[in-house]
Amino acid sequence: MKRRTFLIFSAASAAGALVDVTHKKGLPGKEMIRFIPETKLVPGVAVHRPGICTQCPAGCGLDVRVMEGHAEVVRNGQAGLLRMGLAKKLEGNPEHPVNLGKLCARGQAGLQVTYNPDRIGHPLKRVGPRGSGEYIEISWEAAIGELTDRLRPLASQVDSSGLVFLTQPLRGQRQVLIERFLSVFAGSAHVPFEFFDDAVLREANGLSFGHYQLPTYDLANSRYVVSLGADFLGTWNSPVAQSLAYGTMRQGRSGVRGRFVQVETRMTQTGANADEWLSANPGSEGNLALGLAHVLINEHLRSAESAASAGDLIEGWKDGLPQYSSEAVAWKTGVPPATIRRLARDLSAHQPAVVIVGGSPLAQTNGLFTALAVNALNALLGSANQPGGLQFSPYAAGFAAPAEPRKGVLSPNELAQQILTGRPSPVQALLVYGANPAFATPPGWQVKESLEKVPFIASFSNFVDETTEMADLLLPDHSYLESWLDHVPESGTNEVVIGVAPPAMEPLHNTRATPDVLIETAHRLGGRAAQALPWKNYEEMLRSTVLPLRHFPGSVAAGSDDDFWKKVQQQGGWWGTTTGQTSKSASRPASFSPVKEQQPEFDGSAKDFPFHFLPFASQQFYDGRNANLPWLQEMPDVLTTAMWGSWVEINLQTAQELQIEQGDLVEVASAHGVLQAPAVPSPGIAPDVIAMPVGQGHAQYGRYATGRGANPISILGPQRETNTGALAWASTRVRIRRVGKNGELCLFSTGPITWGEKQLKR
Amino acid sequence: MAHRWGMVIDLDRCTGCEACVVACHAENNIATVGEKQAAMGRAIHWIRVERHWEGEFPNVRVRFQPIPCQQCDDAPCEPVCPTYASYQNAQGLNAQIYNRCIGTRYCANACPYTGRYFNWFNPSWDKPLQLQLNPDVSIRESGVMEKCTFCFQRILAAEANAQAEKRQLRDGEFSPACVQSCPSEAMVFGDLDDPQSEVSRLSRSDRGVKLLGEVGTFPKVTYLTRES
Ligand code: SF4
Ligand code: SF4
Ligand code: SF4
Repeated sequence: MKRRTFLIFSAASAAGALVDVTHKKGLPGKEMIRFIPETKLVPGVAVHRPGICTQCPAGCGLDVRVMEGHAEVVRNGQAGLLRMGLAKKLEGNPEHPVNLGKLCARGQAGLQVTYNPDRIGHPLKRVGPRGSGEYIEISWEAAIGELTDRLRPLASQVDSSGLVFLTQPLRGQRQVLIERFLSVFAGSAHVPFEFFDDAVLREANGLSFGHYQLPTYDLANSRYVVSLGADFLGTWNSPVAQSLAYGTMRQGRSGVRGRFVQVETRMTQTGANADEWLSANPGSEGNLALGLAHVLINEHLRSAESAASAGDLIEGWKDGLPQYSSEAVAWKTGVPPATIRRLARDLSAHQPAVVIVGGSPLAQTNGLFTALAVNALNALLGSANQPGGLQFSPYAAGFAAPAEPRKGVLSPNELAQQILTGRPSPVQALLVYGANPAFATPPGWQVKESLEKVPFIASFSNFVDETTEMADLLLPDHSYLESWLDHVPESGTNEVVIGVAPPAMEPLHNTRATPDVLIETAHRLGGRAAQALPWKNYEEMLRSTVLPLRHFPGSVAAGSDDDFWKKVQQQGGWWGTTTGQTSKSASRPASFSPVKEQQPEFDGSAKDFPFHFLPFASQQFYDGRNANLPWLQEMPDVLTTAMWGSWVEINLQTAQELQIEQGDLVEVASAHGVLQAPAVPSPGIAPDVIAMPVGQGHAQYGRYATGRGANPISILGPQRETNTGALAWASTRVRIRRVGKNGELCLFSTGPITWGEKQLKR
Repeated sequence: MAHRWGMVIDLDRCTGCEACVVACHAENNIATVGEKQAAMGRAIHWIRVERHWEGEFPNVRVRFQPIPCQQCDDAPCEPVCPTYASYQNAQGLNAQIYNRCIGTRYCANACPYTGRYFNWFNPSWDKPLQLQLNPDVSIRESGVMEKCTFCFQRILAAEANAQAEKRQLRDGEFSPACVQSCPSEAMVFGDLDDPQSEVSRLSRSDRGVKLLGEVGTFPKVTYLTRES
């Protein structure tokens, strides 16, 4: 987008008013219209308010430090200066069972979402062509009016309304709200999407253990942990909860120190902490798991039956997995036979033990096979639903369970095809909330092209990103510190947890909470829509859902409903035990036969594309959503010290053979695209793997992210995990060549990255 | 009440997540300098995480080591300052008086831990990012050195609180920002003069080492080595 045009249009009323008033008074900057203070705060004295971190799906509880300050705000179309409570620091909520007062780096950086200079400050209507960034500012009255007008004809359709709601996966009442909103539109669809989706593991857990959800690992009680590719201390599942437990596993028990082995093709932040680091061929991790099981069964350390139904899912399990001898498995995985036998014996001897799988091993075409193999191994070890092993967090009955498997859930790929072909029915309108598939899907999925074809797109995003820039109507949400929040963590706790938090501060801009906008739109549509969303606002909806918890033993004791609701808000949620609590059960279909071993398939031939390409979750930006936060841009990647850009990781020896040096510009090409970035040769990556962090390379995401680095997703092949249809994002092959000298690598450490122990200077 | 503030960092717990790095930025109004300046070595991180690689593929190991100012008892940064901007306060902290500093950078030169950072220009924040600034911490201007303060503002606040309530400070009742956020609880902060405090107890651990202890700086940060 051309920023200049954007500014000209959007600044017309707000900034114009500021300048005039200031000039009249002849005082620079401060003497604008003063609004009456909204909160009574003592200058210099902090108050603490609960919140919920929305920087990743884990849902850690926040403790927001709020202090009095002066902010330029817009109220009723009028800009002015307001003395208000401002969030000054985010800490973890010490009471919240998931994170117990701790936050990760991305959680720490959250203030910069609210105070980001590139936030969309008011509703906008597109006037130029799509993607041109030409908007005019409109009022909320007009914006909601336009949305209602667009949706009204769709609501009256009898068979297919053509309405699609594209969101990030939602884990709370926003999910319920959106489903109820859509229930009024015949044949409408909710498409939840995020790049690092764990659908494969959920599916496998449903089949093996009857829980369609991510596991909670009781690492604090484990004595031996083997992780296959999972960056569980950095970006995967519930990293803060897992880091807390990891600290205890290492040094929190007297006389016991848990041992930790990581298997992966490129060393993650998590892998860097392992006592032993191993590399296995991409897509062979399931084989490795069954190789370990083979040793356990054949050396009579465990009996095959002890794995119960999780074992039955694997072909040959009952017969002791004859085809998985250590030698055969070594040949496929590249892990030496003696190592396989030793790992298996150690797992058996040091109980409780647990095997974790996540990330790239499951992002192969045979991901489900791998996950089922690891589940069977855990069952064999007796680690399922045991202390020191893996467990499943309970949910309260009646609460939106995260990630419930729904029939006919579309992926953005299918959505794009539906839009492009108009089959089974044309898509008339698309609503976008917190998802950015135009950035985070492979080019072969044609998401970007398909968006051009949708007659009407409305976005509720805080920022103009690659998807939102295609929207006709922008209805910006409050930031998460300005919103009513709720979140049901999928994992990281063994209690029922419902995170709930009122806004920690007043909104800075003329934004509006998306749930409230939907409620109002439904009321304007009237009839069935108004009945489906009967609440006055989202706060009322939350209150009515939370009140029934009062009668269960939990973290809040209260004499009345009002008292209960007040205390839940003060605490940042409710946690305890409920009767009728469920974890999402998905019983195995009766017809499910044991799965056969499945070989991974890669996109691109080994001859033309000799390297496996591994995009990985960035320590700073996760899937790219945090790339617009300067604190995280300037936070050095812990293994390379890279800041403010992308890099290409390549094995040290391989780089020498190709005469690639640190900082050289290299070109990485797949059958689907080409990108360039500086090289970082590293000892922690397999010779046949090229890796890149996901998160940079935004074409459109504010001043700190736009045009910075390269996006590895843009060269991925479109192939998917064969059983679940999830994107197999680790299965593309590439080639690499040196382009030239100056790749403009920005490192915090000026030395070579492989220092000896004694060299501590920066 | 005199205190001697110290810190223990358990390298067997530290995962290299860098929550401490961002927490310190957020708490202490540390400016980001942008790509161009960062590439010239001008980024400021009062605490950073170093890594030590060992071995060759596939037998590779890494050890992480977070490094804030070591708050040395015999601090090499202090005697070299011609204006006494760098000095040791009554609680044993190596403090920096910003408005006394004239930017010779002798102290940065002298620090064996490279824990001191220079402001090459006045910091600026794109509006409204300035609203994130912590009112308890002053902003440093061009030409001034800065460094980890052990979150001195938090120490003062906790002391004032205790005084108002007419009581002694309790061990663990407050923490610096990095310690508070650390997800694996690798960092512990407290009074080294109190033999009962957690930080004293851990400093006496068999695993305790001082970073470059042999140069005789007597740091008040103790590292607990990894057990493997
Ligand atoms: S893990 Fe980090 S980003 Fe995710 S919710 Fe927790 S603090 Fe936020
Ligand atoms: S926050 Fe803690 S675990 Fe993370 S890098 Fe810092 S010291 Fe290590
Ligand atoms: S003690 Fe405070 S100033 Fe020092 S590194 Fe930690 S957060 Fe930064």
